[in-house]
Amino acid sequence: MAGKIESRLQELGIVLPEAVAALANYVPWVQSGNNVWIAGQVPLVDGELQHIGKVGSGIEMDEAQAAARICGLNIIAQVKAACGGDLDRVVRCLKVGGYVNAVADFGRHPEVVNGASDLMVEVFGEAGRHARFAVGAGSLPRQVSVEIDAVFEVA
Amino acid sequence: MAGRIEARLAELGHELPQPMAPAGTYVGWTRVGNIVHIAGQGPVRGTVIPLQGKVGQGVSLEEGREAAALTALNLLAQAREACEGDLDRIVRWLKLFGLVNCGPDFGEHPEVINGASDLLVEVFGEAGRHARSAIGASDLPMGIPVEIDAVIEVR
Repeated sequence: MAGKIESRLQELGIVLPEAVAALANYVPWVQSGNNVWIAGQVPLVDGELQHIGKVGSGIEMDEAQAAARICGLNIIAQVKAACGGDLDRVVRCLKVGGYVNAVADFGRHPEVVNGASDLMVEVFGEAGRHARFAVGAGSLPRQVSVEIDAVFEVA
Repeated sequence: MAGRIEARLAELGHELPQPMAPAGTYVGWTRVGNIVHIAGQGPVRGTVIPLQGKVGQGVSLEEGREAAALTALNLLAQAREACEGDLDRIVRWLKLFGLVNCGPDFGEHPEVINGASDLLVEVFGEAGRHARSAIGASDLPMGIPVEIDAVIEVR
């Protein structure tokens, strides 16, 4: 039987990606007590990095937001793995960290990272509302435009 | 009597530096329950900074990796204080956040921060495997090539 959150995903027409392995010598999530730390996720779709480049120079706002949303989908895929496949065990998205590979005087990082934050609220409702920071990074791994990590509370 | 982790460090030829004094109005670590937050550490030996500069511009990838490994030893020095000298009280490395001082088009952050992740896995085995985010910074305090902070679980 599909859970509440799985039904919500269907209703939104969202197909979650597979939880992907880490890019290097670390793991995609770690649980301690009821907290799950999700490693920084990048705009990876079917094994291919998307939206490579600098936001504000080549990557425009709508594309950057799309990249952030893909990071968010990959985060949800990881938290699903951490919950043994049952997203109804998510109690709350506690914190989101958003890194935007932007030109030096870019100032619209919050709008970019909203691509992920909006997704969390769409999918989890009130439990998806999180504390957050959004910063500009001088560069990001493999020149991706956005990277996002998160901390969740799970039951 | 040296503990298990101290013995493992000695076996690998690692010597922990003195915990670095904070560079401002903050402390090296804080503890809440079983979770310890360690402040951003750099590749320093006491007060000596062996290497300064940007990875990919003056600092090679290999030197960046070595800087990340030395930074991990500084994280361990702080963790040892938080555990009142007993590194065997570390249950798990939960999360690393790695900043690489590099130019705007650098993309090999994961390889640099692996210097720290590899060391932690060598020393702690499975308990050293953590979630991680790595990003590029356009500059870091005192020109250090790498800065890393961490969250760990202790008993």
